[in-house]
Amino acid sequence: MTEQMLIGVTLLYPEMILIGAALLMLLIARRIRGTRIGLGLTVTAGIAAAISAASGLSAETTTGFSGMIVQDAFSQFFEVLIAAALVLGALLSYRKEPDEERTPPEYYALLLLATTGMLMAVSAIDLMTLYLGLELTTICSYVLVGLRVERPAANEAAIKYFLMGSFASALLLFGISLIYGLTGTTELAAIAVALEGADANPLLLVGLALLSAGLAFKISAVPFHSWAPDAYQGADSPVAAFMAAGPKAAGLAVMARVGLVAFQHQSEFMGLILVSIAALSIVVGSLLSLSQTDMRRLLAYSAIAHAGYALMGLAAGSPEGAAATMTYAFFYVFMTIGAFGVVVALGERGETIEGFRGLSTQRPGLAAITLLFLLALTGIPLTSGFTAKFGVILAAVRADQLPLALLAVSCSVISAFVYMRIAVLMYMSDPAEDSSSTVSPGTSPALVHLALGLAAAVTLVGGILPGILSEWTVFP
Amino acid sequence: MNEYMGIAVCFLLAGGLAGLMVLLAAKLGPKKPSAEKLAPFECGKDPIDIPLGRLAIRFYLIAILFILFDVEVVFLYPWAVVYRELGMLGLVEMSVFLGVLLVGFVYAWDNKALEWK
Repeated sequence: MTEQMLIGVTLLYPEMILIGAALLMLLIARRIRGTRIGLGLTVTAGIAAAISAASGLSAETTTGFSGMIVQDAFSQFFEVLIAAALVLGALLSYRKEPDEERTPPEYYALLLLATTGMLMAVSAIDLMTLYLGLELTTICSYVLVGLRVERPAANEAAIKYFLMGSFASALLLFGISLIYGLTGTTELAAIAVALEGADANPLLLVGLALLSAGLAFKISAVPFHSWAPDAYQGADSPVAAFMAAGPKAAGLAVMARVGLVAFQHQSEFMGLILVSIAALSIVVGSLLSLSQTDMRRLLAYSAIAHAGYALMGLAAGSPEGAAATMTYAFFYVFMTIGAFGVVVALGERGETIEGFRGLSTQRPGLAAITLLFLLALTGIPLTSGFTAKFGVILAAVRADQLPLALLAVSCSVISAFVYMRIAVLMYMSDPAEDSSSTVSPGTSPALVHLALGLAAAVTLVGGILPGILSEWTVFP
Repeated sequence: MNEYMGIAVCFLLAGGLAGLMVLLAAKLGPKKPSAEKLAPFECGKDPIDIPLGRLAIRFYLIAILFILFDVEVVFLYPWAVVYRELGMLGLVEMSVFLGVLLVGFVYAWDNKALEWK
């Protein structure tokens, strides 16, 4: 008993590092001035968690806490990815003037705890741990969105997000309870055994639909997406960057485990749900991003469309499809953090797409890096976006889902118009007279540049060496 | 069914005794009714009131803190009952749990949530 517990504890080292840092942060919250300590602690904890998740990277699978938590290649892959999102998100939140709009120390504690929840969720093999992990993340996200209490937009965004989020969590729990009622277990593998050869029981279908709805909310897939644009716009840009990256990767990992492990014998129905969510997300995300003028709303709709693309791999229902989704999640995290990072670097100016007018003459370096992220989001070759999209579309074609693949390709063309509009503003228009006089192009802190550089490096390497991840993207 | 017999007897005795007391008080007690006495009892407040008054937000903070730290006792009782069987592992686990709660307590203290002003 004791020995088994200790094995379980060793699987939780990354989570323990993050929780320890978060608790330390709360203890010193009122005793420190400035935010450098918090930033340093968060980045250190994030790197330590990534190293501890990656160490012992092996093909062997260990379960702990009586089948609640697992450590396998899949969970380690996502743990490293999510820890990287934490580090980049924390770097982006560095501000030059600590007195002006000072970031409260609790911000870093919340970031750390949200990340802990994601790590729990990606290594969960039981519906209860999975739910707990996702909830920890979501509850921290509500507070992160509404952190600037003095700003009405942040309050509104937080309340909207909270109301819809709690509703989605209730759906998720209801689905779990129905599944439990049918199978008598919450363990993913045991559910698969109990459902083997089971006919399409209406209760099972309802439970499965509710479960998928709750999870689709977490990755902001259509039709459960409406919170995302408001939340991203109301939140601080670094928070939006973190929320668009980490929780989405965690949600995709959870969906992969639930869909391909627990409901592997219901692949027909599961595939139907996933294909429709993916198709809707791609179409709605691409079309609605056309009419956006606020940069963060535009990126939110782009994130919705990308959730759809990533789901295509899972909809294929094969291990290769899941591997394609893993690749997609990995590259997507870095390009979306990069795109939001540009908004952070430009400050108030970057919040509308008009702010990008004439950027290439004022800050050529930043304009070039923005162009790289825009190309990656579109899916142009030699960026990681192409590698990612190619993988999921190939998976869809191999799974005989030709209409979905065609839809994805044509919506990529539509989204190219969205992203290239910004590129045209940057490179082919002169800086507007009035905007440059009111909001100067300014400079941004070196740490923000470091985060942008790291994200850009991954985006480039992923495009030039498309097979670089293939060794690690294995679905158990 | 037998194991529930004790509970049933307990219910009967409790109900009977309470009923007897109410009955005796109603029969034997002197009755001098007044408007105040006949009003439904609600802790010194008017039972029917238009809720226009404001309640200090401090009460909510205290109530939230109370619930937070009250719940830990719920976990402590069953732990204390099986403490011997759990041994060292149980002690370590409970210390971790209390440690996390203690950090929350220090945080509340730091933010002056415990000061009434």
